[in-house]
Amino acid sequence: MPMPMPAHARLDVARQLLDLLGDTRTEPRPDDQLEALTLAVAADLPVLLWGEPGIGKTAALNQLAEALDLPLTTVIASVHEPSDFSGLPIVGDDPAQQGVPLAPPDWAVRLVRAGRGLLFLDELSTAPPAVQAALLRLVLERRIGALQLPPGVRIVAAANPRSSAADGWELSPPLANRFVHLQWVHDHEVVVRGLGGVWPVATLPRLDPAALPAAVAFARRAVCELLTVRPELVHRLPTSETKRGGAWPSPRSWDMTLRLIAFATAAGSSREVLSLLVRGTVGDGPGLELMASMDRMDLPDPEQLLADPAGAVLPERGDLRQVVLDGVVAAVRNRPERARWDAAWALLLRALESGAPDVLVVPATTLASLRREDWEVPEAIEHLASTVALSRRADRAAGRVAARTNVTAGR
Amino acid sequence: MSAGATPPDTGWNTRPAPTPLDLGRRIRPKVARPAPTPGDPDWQVKPQAGPPALRPLDLEKLYAARLQAVRARPYLATALFALHLVESRQVPTMGVDRQWRCYASPGFVERTAVEDLASIWVHEVSHLLRDHHGRSDRLARDLGLRDPADRLRMNIAADCEINDDAFGDGLVKPAGALTPRLLGLPEGKLMEDYLRGFSFDLRRPGLAWLDCGGGADGVDRPWELGPDGAHGLTAQERDAVRFRVAEGIRGRPGNAPAGWRRWAEEVFHPPQPWRQLLGAAMRSAVSGPGAGGDYSYGRPARRSAGLPGVVLPSLRRRPPRVSVVVDTSGSVSDRELGSALLEVAAIGRAVGGRHDQVTVLSCDAAAQSVGALCRAAGIPLIGGGGTDLRTGFAAALRTRPQPDVVVVLTDGQTPWPTVAPACRTVVGLFRRPSRYDENNGEYRPDAPPEWARVVTIG
Repeated sequence: MPMPMPAHARLDVARQLLDLLGDTRTEPRPDDQLEALTLAVAADLPVLLWGEPGIGKTAALNQLAEALDLPLTTVIASVHEPSDFSGLPIVGDDPAQQGVPLAPPDWAVRLVRAGRGLLFLDELSTAPPAVQAALLRLVLERRIGALQLPPGVRIVAAANPRSSAADGWELSPPLANRFVHLQWVHDHEVVVRGLGGVWPVATLPRLDPAALPAAVAFARRAVCELLTVRPELVHRLPTSETKRGGAWPSPRSWDMTLRLIAFATAAGSSREVLSLLVRGTVGDGPGLELMASMDRMDLPDPEQLLADPAGAVLPERGDLRQVVLDGVVAAVRNRPERARWDAAWALLLRALESGAPDVLVVPATTLASLRREDWEVPEAIEHLASTVALSRRADRAAGRVAARTNVTAGR
Repeated sequence: MSAGATPPDTGWNTRPAPTPLDLGRRIRPKVARPAPTPGDPDWQVKPQAGPPALRPLDLEKLYAARLQAVRARPYLATALFALHLVESRQVPTMGVDRQWRCYASPGFVERTAVEDLASIWVHEVSHLLRDHHGRSDRLARDLGLRDPADRLRMNIAADCEINDDAFGDGLVKPAGALTPRLLGLPEGKLMEDYLRGFSFDLRRPGLAWLDCGGGADGVDRPWELGPDGAHGLTAQERDAVRFRVAEGIRGRPGNAPAGWRRWAEEVFHPPQPWRQLLGAAMRSAVSGPGAGGDYSYGRPARRSAGLPGVVLPSLRRRPPRVSVVVDTSGSVSDRELGSALLEVAAIGRAVGGRHDQVTVLSCDAAAQSVGALCRAAGIPLIGGGGTDLRTGFAAALRTRPQPDVVVVLTDGQTPWPTVAPACRTVVGLFRRPSRYDENNGEYRPDAPPEWARVVTIG
């Protein structure tokens, strides 16, 4: 019969079991939301993670702190008082002469002493308005009382969406406008794999030093091109209370967007990651407009295509190809010259060889109508005759539809 | 189809600007097709030569069909051209996957007329634009549907949502297209309504092309190339295409039917449920200075005792007093009113109010029903008033102590106070069709004033 174990030994066994459970590994794994978070933290912009309670926001933060090799300081915003962020007034011997200094809390002192760290403000949305007001200064000016947070400190906050929080406050619009809002959703595979002992690891994006000036130029162009044609997007405070507490466009958030585009470009991040960041900074509508406008920036320039039709590389996708060819025809219309007209036909021919012919019908029709009296028909048109056949076939089908509809209507 | 090489003659240069049709005729005069008749090869089934598995996909026919679809629905051009066509002998008819590839069966394309194929192009792209796969996944998760038959029902529900207004005006209704009417269901509903509200009798005939692929119901098919396959669109590219289509419809709304216009308005800005909006309006109204729980230096904090020399503020919780003014003169149903009232009361409690901090005043003779609802919710009903909301406001502001927030539940058919009251105001507006008084054609009720936060309910 085995001897009964002494109590301390039983606890030791429990400790062993806990150690085994805590023994998890990490694996590099493409994870768009983690990459977006890492990129925004690298760009030194405050990030706000929105997510249901218990889906691993804190775990992700632990991963991030580990990956960036930064000590993590967690502050639950809702259990603190405004003075914890703005500083506690200490009355000295002669307040009239010396003033009343605002003493910072201990965690801020430690953070400043360390010179670097990840400050995690949890449960931001349940913090009362006065605490939010005090946090404004911390997030924007990086000041706690008399202390200035060193540049090595990064700020991440988390909030529960309204639907899951029974009480709590709307985030005030000025505070909301200072954050990059990331929707944190759990990825089923990541969770299952993580519970199996392997979590994804956040890697700091590698910024290519050679690409930095080009990245800045690209980011400036992307934002300025959109805002030049859509001036109303520069500042738009949403009308509903719930949207004001999220991402919305203002000169400040556009400036943050610019920075994020530059970082994502220099890091070679995917458009998915950039889309998460951009929509989280200026909101879904303006963010999508910016992404669409950047897609158009990526398309080849019509003038360059006309200058060298033989070396032209047209986009694979039909819709983008349509935009490019329409642009080419528009360029010929703006400056109609024989050589340009011929080059446009050559481009259409290249498009016919490498893709669907129905995309070409409208540009070919328009280009044909631009012909001047003394311009001879180029050889290329012969090959494009199949698009004409296609067009007529579609016309006949449309005619039959019209006939059928008339019969139905007449009945 | 190859083009005949006929050199252009001299007649070219004397003519005005030719169209490609002219160019085509000029270049290939001998291959001109006969006029469209019922004997047209596009229209009828071609004589079949050889076993069906060996015939290649008739790409020209599909592209001609797509061209016709683009001409009939110009606002869908971007989406139609973004689809990548894939030949597949496994797909029963035509189907799309979540990465915006379109699979077509050669046999089906051969059997089907160009005009029917055009309608099917529009149908398939509608599945993708309306995010039926994502919505199916959400429905499956929310309702716990794991049966393959449930996914078939989702495909049917999605088809019903599309087909009730997709055809006509240049597009035929293809044979075998599933419409709500065919199933004896009302038209104009959303996929979710069809799925939740109705049961489908699958033994009915005519459900011919039901498998629209993973793009319609979110389940991968064996013939689909998957997210890593060639020519797929990434999530961001899909959003960009949908955004551009929506932008096009919003830019020229006259060309698109009401269903697509509504889609374009809501695709990236879905309307928020009024409960959330009303809650947010109330929370932000009661969280202003002077109401609700906030910090004040008016009285030292309990922590102060342990920290001599430190001046600490204390959390003073002054529960907000909420006055609800109910306008019962309109045709506000008891159910709507009851749920709105319960919402107001629940939020009032959540932000720290007590039962006695929420008062309800009704503005009409229908106070009985309101009273019953309010008793159930534990809210005492006080006072009354006229049908004019201004008296309701005045009565609410006369109560002592003064309310921090006045919440008005009304259908908006009332004059409003000309000056802002001395407290925050939230207006819950029941949506009503605009009433037109034939004796007084000039009369239009005023919109709620600027100083009130307005939430449309229902």
